[in-house]
Amino acid sequence: MALVDNVRNSPNLAALEVWLQKVPYAVFLGIKAELNKGDILFILPEDKRLIGNPSLPALHGGVVGAFMEQAAALHLIANMDNPALPKIINFSLDYLRPARLRDTYAKCLLSRQGRFISNITITAWQEHVDQPNAIARAHFLTP
Amino acid sequence: MPVLSNSQKYNLVKIMNDHIPHAALLGIQVERIDGEELTLKLPYQTVLVGDSDAGTLHGGVLTVLLDQTLGMATVCCDATEPSVTPTLDLRIDHLCVAPPGMDVFASARVYKATRKILFVEGCAYCESKENPIARATGSWVRVADIDLSWLAPPDQDVV
Repeated sequence: MALVDNVRNSPNLAALEVWLQKVPYAVFLGIKAELNKGDILFILPEDKRLIGNPSLPALHGGVVGAFMEQAAALHLIANMDNPALPKIINFSLDYLRPARLRDTYAKCLLSRQGRFISNITITAWQEHVDQPNAIARAHFLTP
Repeated sequence: MPVLSNSQKYNLVKIMNDHIPHAALLGIQVERIDGEELTLKLPYQTVLVGDSDAGTLHGGVLTVLLDQTLGMATVCCDATEPSVTPTLDLRIDHLCVAPPGMDVFASARVYKATRKILFVEGCAYCESKENPIARATGSWVRVADIDLSWLAPPDQDVV
């Protein structure tokens, strides 16, 4: 039995697009999403407005976290039978390397989708998926 | 004996905050420093909303505010020299949604300092710190001391 159960086979991209435009902060950050080999790939395009450390320069660590949380919420929405905005319960973030001023990517794994609560792990990277800049875990309450 | 006076901490934290482009974009300001506790303020803005029907702030916005507040609280710690401290990890519990239309404050302090690691805790709130909307804990790594030779001595405090 795979770790992932109870999960739709193909993500609902139409719902994903709708919610990408519906969340003001996702629009503010400029988050995009596309389908890549059956997985949803989230993209935070390079943007000088998102710099936290100008001397490196590096993105604001909180922004990387916010992008990962939003990616997780959208990933969940795309896998719901009746797409609705999930509520974040908690978020745990490990920073592995500073995120430079360039495009950042994220992918999510819906580890468990329960009736009320879902557990999602998120990986964010810039140069290579095997060299993540941050990994995170989120719990969401779904309506 | 604290390493820095309250007003020296304020000046240092204000300069750090003013040098963060994303903090300027969001309008994050230094609200106050009380001993080892730092408080920052994030003004409410509709572009930062997560649920447009309810008008409530996005959880990720709190991540930005708390990451920055807990991270900058490391220089307010009296047990160690102010250091360059990248974030190791951060955990946030979202206790309730932020009331729509209200500015958010975040307070944080180092609760344990070791030679290499600073353990920090904090919370975000709107009306009262006793009624937080989120709680955060995290750890920061000391990688280098900050050169403070330019900082005004305590007796020249202007704040």
